[in-house]
Amino acid sequence: MNLKYKSGGYFAVVLFVAIFMGSLSASAQVPADSTSKDSTVADSALLKQIEAQMQAAPAAQPTGTQTRSSLSFNPDIGVIGDFQGSYISKGEKNFDMYLNETEVSLQAAVDPYARADFFLSFGRDPVTGKYGVEVEEGYVTTLSLPAKLQLKAGKFREAVGRINPTHPHALPFIDLPNAYVNLFGEEGLNDEGVSLSWLTPNKAFYQELVFQTTAGYTESPAFVRSEGNHLIYLGHLKNFFTLTDNATLELGLTGILGPNDSAHTTNVGSFDLTYKYKPVQMNTYHSLTWQSEFYYSHNNQKEDHSVDAIGLYSFIQYQLAKRTFLTGRYDYGEKPYNNSIKEQAYSLTFGWYATEFSKMEVEAKTTEDNIEPRFYQAWLRWIFVIGAHGAHQY
Amino acid sequence: MKRISIFTAIAFFVFQHAVAGTIKVVTTLTDLKSITELIGGNKVAVTSIATGYQNPHFVDPKPSYIINLSGADLFVTIGLDLETGWSPQLLASSRNTKIQKGAPGYVDASENMALLQVPTAANRAEGDIHIYGNPHYWLDPLNGKVIARNIANGLERVDPADKAIFEANLATFNKTIDDKMKDWQAKMAPFKGSKIIAYHNEWVYFEKRFGLEIVDFMEPKPGIPPTPSQLVKVINEIKSNNIKVIISSPYFSTSSSDVVAKQTGVKVVTMATSTGAFPTVKTYFDVFDYDIAQITAALK
Repeated sequence: MNLKYKSGGYFAVVLFVAIFMGSLSASAQVPADSTSKDSTVADSALLKQIEAQMQAAPAAQPTGTQTRSSLSFNPDIGVIGDFQGSYISKGEKNFDMYLNETEVSLQAAVDPYARADFFLSFGRDPVTGKYGVEVEEGYVTTLSLPAKLQLKAGKFREAVGRINPTHPHALPFIDLPNAYVNLFGEEGLNDEGVSLSWLTPNKAFYQELVFQTTAGYTESPAFVRSEGNHLIYLGHLKNFFTLTDNATLELGLTGILGPNDSAHTTNVGSFDLTYKYKPVQMNTYHSLTWQSEFYYSHNNQKEDHSVDAIGLYSFIQYQLAKRTFLTGRYDYGEKPYNNSIKEQAYSLTFGWYATEFSKMEVEAKTTEDNIEPRFYQAWLRWIFVIGAHGAHQY
Repeated sequence: MKRISIFTAIAFFVFQHAVAGTIKVVTTLTDLKSITELIGGNKVAVTSIATGYQNPHFVDPKPSYIINLSGADLFVTIGLDLETGWSPQLLASSRNTKIQKGAPGYVDASENMALLQVPTAANRAEGDIHIYGNPHYWLDPLNGKVIARNIANGLERVDPADKAIFEANLATFNKTIDDKMKDWQAKMAPFKGSKIIAYHNEWVYFEKRFGLEIVDFMEPKPGIPPTPSQLVKVINEIKSNNIKVIISSPYFSTSSSDVVAKQTGVKVVTMATSTGAFPTVKTYFDVFDYDIAQITAALK
C-alpha cells in the first residue's frame, strides 16, 4: 500500500519535472503570453494532486502536544557488573573472588538508515590481576537495505551456533563448555570485519543466512591473524521452527575457514539444535530448554598432515519456579591441535533470578581427561544491571 | 515473444495491485489487532504478536515473529516502554524501513493519551516502574477511542485513498463505545467506591473509569512476586476494609491469592486484560463486557 502511495509520489515528481522542462522549452519557443490548453489541463491536474497530498500529510500528523518525547540524543546506557567467587581442587590457590567484568553498553539509532551498538568491557587479567579496557563489541547495523538484507560492520561476536553470539552474563552457566573453549578460547570468536545477513523469503519458518568475513585480530586456539592476506570466512544458516504456541526448535549450521598458527588453514563445521518449551500463558513461571552444539575441526598443520577433532556440549535448563532455574550440562572435547587429548565434564548450575536486572548463580563442575587426575571446580556469580538493558536473543 | 513479455508485465501489474489492496498490519497486543480490524475493515489483514492471555511485559522475541514484521505495511504498539523488552529487537531485525519508529507505518497508540501514574523520578528500587506512566491504558474504554484515532491516522498515512472508509469506521467505533459505555457505567454504578485488591498494578485506568478503589496489590512492588509479609498486610487490609474481591490476570499464578482467599473468604477473580484472554472475549468490547460481568457478580 505504502509502495503504491510512494510510486504515486514518484510519478507526481516525474510528471512535475517533465512538465516543468516542457514548459521551459515551450516558453523558449512561443511568446510569453501564449499558453497551450493541454499543458494548462495537465498543470491543474498536477496542482490538484499536489494539493491533495499536501492536505493529506498534515491531517495524518498528531494534533496534540508531544510531552513524553525523550529530550536527549544520548544513547541508551547500561552497566552490567559480574562479580564472581571461584574454587578449584588442584594447584596452589584454590579460592578466589573478583569483579570478573564490568560491561558498559551504549546503544542507539545513528540515523534512519542504521543503528550502532557498543559494549565496552572492563575486565580483570586473570594472570596479572590488573584491569584493562577493551571494545568487546562495537558495530553499526543497517536498517534499510533492500531485499531483506542486513549489513553489520565493526567488531562483533560471530554467528557460530548459540553460545558464541551470547554475552557470557546471559548464559545459564558461569563457565563455558570445554569443546567451545578448545576451539574459540574464553573470549570466543569475536572479531573485526563485516557481516551480511539475508532473511530468506521462506514463509513456512524463519530462515536466515549469514556471511561474515573478519581480519583475525582476536586470536583463538583455532584461528590466528594471517601474516599474509588470508581472512576468516564464516557462513551460518539459522532455521527456526514454531512447533506449537509453546514449543520451538532451532537448527543451525555453521562453517568457518581461516588461517591457523601453523601458517595453514583450519576448517570448523558446527551444528546446533535448541528445543524450547515455554508455555505462552505462564511463560514467566515454567520453561525448559534443551540446547546442544557439535563441533568438528580440521586443522591443517603441514602440507601432508592434519588433525581432526570433535567436541560437543549439551545442556538442559529447567525453570523450577518464577525465579529459580536448574541447568545440567555435559561436555566432551578433543584438543584441535592434538586429538589424543580428550576431556569430559559434567556441571550443574542453580540460578536465582531476582528480577530482570539481577541474578545469582552457583555452579559445580567435575572434569576428567586422559592426562591428569579428575578435578573439581565451583563458582558463584552475581550479575547486576543498572540503566538500560536490551533484550537477549530467544 | 514481445507479446508474451507485455502479457507478463500486465499480469504482474494486475497481481501487484490485487496484493496491494490489503494493508498488512502487525500489532503488539490483541486489543490493537481488534481495534485495527474494526477501523480497517476489509482493507486490512492484521496479526498480533502477543496472545490475549500472556503477560505483555514478557513476550519472548521469537524470530518467527520477524516473518510477518518484514512484510508489514503498518506496526501498532502500545508504547510507553510496555513492550521494551521485546518489540525494539524484533523491529530492528525486521529489515522493514516502513515500520521503524518515526516512519509512516509506525503507530504509537499512546499518542495524545491522558496518562496516569507518570513518575516524578525513575528508580528501579521501586520495582518495574514505567518511566512514561502506567502503560495499561487500553483498560479504559474511552482510551480505546484515542487508540482508534491513532490507528486511523496510521492507516490513512499508508493508504490515503481509503481515508473516508477509515473515518466512517472510526465514527462507528466511537459510537459503539459511547453506547456501550452507558450500559457499562449503569452496571458498575451500584459498586462505586468498592474497595478491591489487585495482583499487579495494571488496573488503574479501569479503576478510575468505573469508580473502584484499589487498596493494595498482591505484589509488594510492581513485578516483584508476593512475599509472606505482603500477604499478611493484604489479609489485614481485607479484614479491616471488608474487601470482597482480588482481581488477577490470566498469566499470574493464583497460589498466593488462594492463600489469602482461604484466610479471609475473599473471592479471586481472573479478569480479561486483553482481547482473547478467554474464548468468549473475541473483540475489544468483549473485554469490558466480560470484566464487568465478572466483577459485578463478585461484588454482589
